[in-house]
Amino acid sequence: MMSNSSAGESPIQRPLRRKSRWSTVILAVVILVPSCLAFGKKLAELISLAQGDADGVFAITPVVNYLLASLGFFFLFCWAILNGMFSDIEDPKRSFLETERMLDDERI
Amino acid sequence: MSPNELPQHEELVDEKLVISFFLAALGYLFVSMLGGFLMALQLIRHFPFPGVELLSPGRWRMIHTNVVAYGFLANAFLGALHWAVPRLTLRTVLSKRLSWFIFAAWQVVVLSTAIGIMLGQAQALEWGETPVWIDPLALAGLLLVAVNFMAPISRLTGPMYVTLWYFMAAFVWTFLTYAMGNFMPQYFVTGTAAGAVGGLFIHDLVGLFVTPLGWGLMYYFVPIMLKKPIWSHGLSLVGFWGLAFFYPLNGIHHFLYTPIPMFLQYAAIVATIAVELVVTTVLINFFATLKGSMSALVTNMPIRWFYSGMVFYFLTCLQCSFQTTLTFQALIHFTDWVVGHAHMVMFGVFSFWLLGVMTYLFPRLLKTEWASQKMLSWHYWLSLVGITLMSADLIVAGPFQGYSWAQLLPWEVSIELSIPFWAVRLVAGLLMFSGLLVFLTNIGLTWAKSRKLSHVAANV
Repeated sequence: MMSNSSAGESPIQRPLRRKSRWSTVILAVVILVPSCLAFGKKLAELISLAQGDADGVFAITPVVNYLLASLGFFFLFCWAILNGMFSDIEDPKRSFLETERMLDDERI
Repeated sequence: MSPNELPQHEELVDEKLVISFFLAALGYLFVSMLGGFLMALQLIRHFPFPGVELLSPGRWRMIHTNVVAYGFLANAFLGALHWAVPRLTLRTVLSKRLSWFIFAAWQVVVLSTAIGIMLGQAQALEWGETPVWIDPLALAGLLLVAVNFMAPISRLTGPMYVTLWYFMAAFVWTFLTYAMGNFMPQYFVTGTAAGAVGGLFIHDLVGLFVTPLGWGLMYYFVPIMLKKPIWSHGLSLVGFWGLAFFYPLNGIHHFLYTPIPMFLQYAAIVATIAVELVVTTVLINFFATLKGSMSALVTNMPIRWFYSGMVFYFLTCLQCSFQTTLTFQALIHFTDWVVGHAHMVMFGVFSFWLLGVMTYLFPRLLKTEWASQKMLSWHYWLSLVGITLMSADLIVAGPFQGYSWAQLLPWEVSIELSIPFWAVRLVAGLLMFSGLLVFLTNIGLTWAKSRKLSHVAANV
């Protein structure tokens, strides 16, 4: 079911594939960098709040909820990288369709 | 896996179970729309059962929202998951018996919720009004769902298709969101902190239960329908991880201008705008996939439902990123703008997707073509015109109400000016309700056709 995605590509497909990879990277950077910066700034404010005004400490409840959920997903993300979940990033979209085709073929 | 080692579809998917979930879902959608209809009559001062406590419009409004979430959406998602997960993983769920138990138990949870609300036992949490004695049962049900589906997914090795990422996250998030919203404000935190948690719950129910399941199903069904892979799997994963990290903090934007510290309100606004950017990447991916197959929008009914839902999704998220700014919020808070927005999300997006999934799967489950293609078309157009009219009507009504309040006009003035909008809302709701009735009739006719065909086949 696994296939080598780059094998058998025509000279026309190759630049398209490169373009698609670049657009993915650019979009990821455009989204992630400003969002992470904003998040970092707000995290710093939270820490200063927790150390300062006692009346504002209640705000920590929702933030801790968020941080716990995000921490879980951060670990999952690290696990996914270490286990090669992104090694051939485009392959699953083809192998899943192939499996679907085979499952339906056997019904006919 | 070679074709010889491939399990049979019949071994993987319990089709009767999928049909049962879908029929339960549609039954609840009928009840929910009936609740909406009663509330709409109350708004235009034509409520037919004044003074009858069990039918009080306030209680039926809660039945309307809760039955949509836990009756229609949850059942329809569970039906679709019982089709998609075994086929994607090539493994059955942990136990088919457990699946039937979950089916029965979940109907008990939803019916008990509706009865509890009718009897006035609602919990004081928006969209989480499930009576407190049902909450542990519902949470146990969600845990069983997660265990049942995670068993085949966890046995996979190698890179996973994006749909399974979304599903995995949804199983974890839904459990956590339900526990957070229904238990923390009830037993552990009070005051503003409880309000903040309530805000997180409302929004996370959309973003962390419905959204990942919805997008997961779209990534599964759209390539199958179009017979080609998604444009970029890498980009789809950017969308998934973006949702994972930016969505959970969005909910505080329901409580702007409250005593919640401003840094937290600003964080929610930033996170909401970040989600809009993530959503844009997802839509780029789907519309790039559609490129070269545009005719499918005309010829393929499920694709039409899916892409109409995606357009509504983009509009709602765009709307969201504007309406969470403080300036905008000052005008529209508590107005019908928000109600229009909520209907566009719940019906225009997720119900459209699930109705599209049912439109695709019912003929496969009943082993025959739809009895009437014309009725399918009527269902789609009545639903589309209905939801477009309802959303537009309420979104326009919102600023009228907001400005009348800002001018400190008497409350009655805002009621009087709202009544024409509420009359249009009733008409729009009736269009959507008629669409559902046409769909139910078509299912009935197709079922009869299927039985007739199997009877003929048995006699040959």
